[in-house]
Amino acid sequence: MSKILFSLLFLLMIAWTGSAQADLVLIANPAIAENTISREEAINIYMGRLRRFPSGASAQPLDLPANGTEKALFYRLLVNKELSDIDAYWARLVFSGRASPPHTVGSLQEMLERVAGETNVIGYVDRAFVDKRVRVIMELPSTGAR
Amino acid sequence: MKQHTNGKLRAQPLPIAKSSRPEPMHNPLPVREWMHRLTLCLCLLAPGLSIADDSAPALTLHYFGTAGLSYVTSGQADFVRNLSQPNGPKGGQWSGQLDSLVGAQANFQVNEQLEIVAQAVSQHRYDDTYIPELTWAFARYLPRPDIELRGGRLGMDFYMRADSRLVGYSYLTVRPSVDYYGGLPFQYLDGLDGAVTLVVGEGLLRAKVFGGYSPEKIPFAEAQWDLSDSPMLGGNLGYQLGSWQFRLSYAQIRYTHNLPLDYAALMTTLRGIPLPGTQLAADALTIQGTTSRHYSAGVIYDEGPLQVQLMVSGAKHESAFFQDGVAGYLLTGYRVGDITPYAGLSWSRNNPATVHSTGIPALDAAVTGAIDETHSDQHTYTLGLRWDLYSGMDVKVQWDAVRGSPGSKFLYRWEQPGWTGQTHVLSAVVDFAF
Repeated sequence: MSKILFSLLFLLMIAWTGSAQADLVLIANPAIAENTISREEAINIYMGRLRRFPSGASAQPLDLPANGTEKALFYRLLVNKELSDIDAYWARLVFSGRASPPHTVGSLQEMLERVAGETNVIGYVDRAFVDKRVRVIMELPSTGAR
Repeated sequence: MKQHTNGKLRAQPLPIAKSSRPEPMHNPLPVREWMHRLTLCLCLLAPGLSIADDSAPALTLHYFGTAGLSYVTSGQADFVRNLSQPNGPKGGQWSGQLDSLVGAQANFQVNEQLEIVAQAVSQHRYDDTYIPELTWAFARYLPRPDIELRGGRLGMDFYMRADSRLVGYSYLTVRPSVDYYGGLPFQYLDGLDGAVTLVVGEGLLRAKVFGGYSPEKIPFAEAQWDLSDSPMLGGNLGYQLGSWQFRLSYAQIRYTHNLPLDYAALMTTLRGIPLPGTQLAADALTIQGTTSRHYSAGVIYDEGPLQVQLMVSGAKHESAFFQDGVAGYLLTGYRVGDITPYAGLSWSRNNPATVHSTGIPALDAAVTGAIDETHSDQHTYTLGLRWDLYSGMDVKVQWDAVRGSPGSKFLYRWEQPGWTGQTHVLSAVVDFAF
């Protein structure tokens, strides 16, 4: 029930801002064993709970800079949290020695290059920028927000 | 852990007698020595290395802190954030000492498996100074993504979220619930921990064990209680499923040293009178060589703008000096834009053990007076607002109404005659974390 309510609120918000948000996708290197990963697995990797692919191989998440729109949208779609919630979350984990936040790349181009060049990282980009060098392993459509 | 401020005990003339309590059975020097050396090595190593690029070893520096101001409306007892503080504001006083602190941390990521972390914090501490303390200094090794091993100086993980108590930016309230965390003065240990994470059903199960020795001191009236070389041991089991987190924890500490001052004077008096009753009372009150056990359970629901936390704990002490008790809190907050209003209820209740009569009324009164110092019987209503000002900075205002009985003394310092167990605390803080 609450999820439906949040979805409606989110849709209203999009309608209100008047800009149709683009779809984000989670990407990995085509050499990894998986074709897709689940939402829970993606959350575990990004939130530092268990950073591995289902195959058991290490999975290190990459973030886009906070000054773009993608990062805020990504966390809203993945865990339904605002960036300040995410910052507070990482303050707890970093200062209790548990885990470090995802490494932040400089740009969308760098994100694609890192994922294309390394098999142990995952990233997210606007679907429009996906090319053959990377594999889409999960979709985060704006209209299907949880 | 508590001072005796009523003068009842201090007035006792002191026959000189040695405690007949045997010394602790073993003295595990090699392990302890090894821990101290490891801690020292890590500290020397961490800051000496330079910042490197992305794929090579990387050093990152982080800072956190809180600037706070509090006003205690009434009550003839010092309000403290927890029992590691030697004093605090009492009725009618303002104080910046309760919550203000600053910390710095260096993380040196050697490679994907190995990280070295050191953290120092300056806060109002046991000796009434702000001398920075090394709160963390450890190596973290992940042989596999689901196994974590750490060794060195580690934050105390007695209760859920107890190892991030100092980082105000990471939680909703001005300070961690005093009823719940206030009686827990332990902040870190020199030792080892290990955790394994398993996928169970749709969620993650995380099991952790830790062990080591306390290097800390706890304030006790004008002096300090030395916890050094006291072995600590514990573990916890957590399960995370979607927006839900559950955790069960157990931890114990065995005290290597007795308390000083009034406590020591009372014990000397009891031991010096060769009656069965006085010896039984002294045995019951002995702290050295006894174990305190802490059990706790916590549930957190965190979904979108809503978060709810419920924690309960129980403490069992072998020494009758410390009253067994239960504590808990319920906290909920709902984010609206950058503002998160929150409300909480917490409680702390300790009950005295029955100690054999000494056969001497004046001494019985002194024994009862000593045990009464760790009595707690109170609950607290909390209302507040957190405003997320910028990324890495928040402002909070909070009102706490403490409702207790006049005998509720455990969580305070320097109680004076007329203490009613009731007060209000108004607080405003700015937290940052980078």
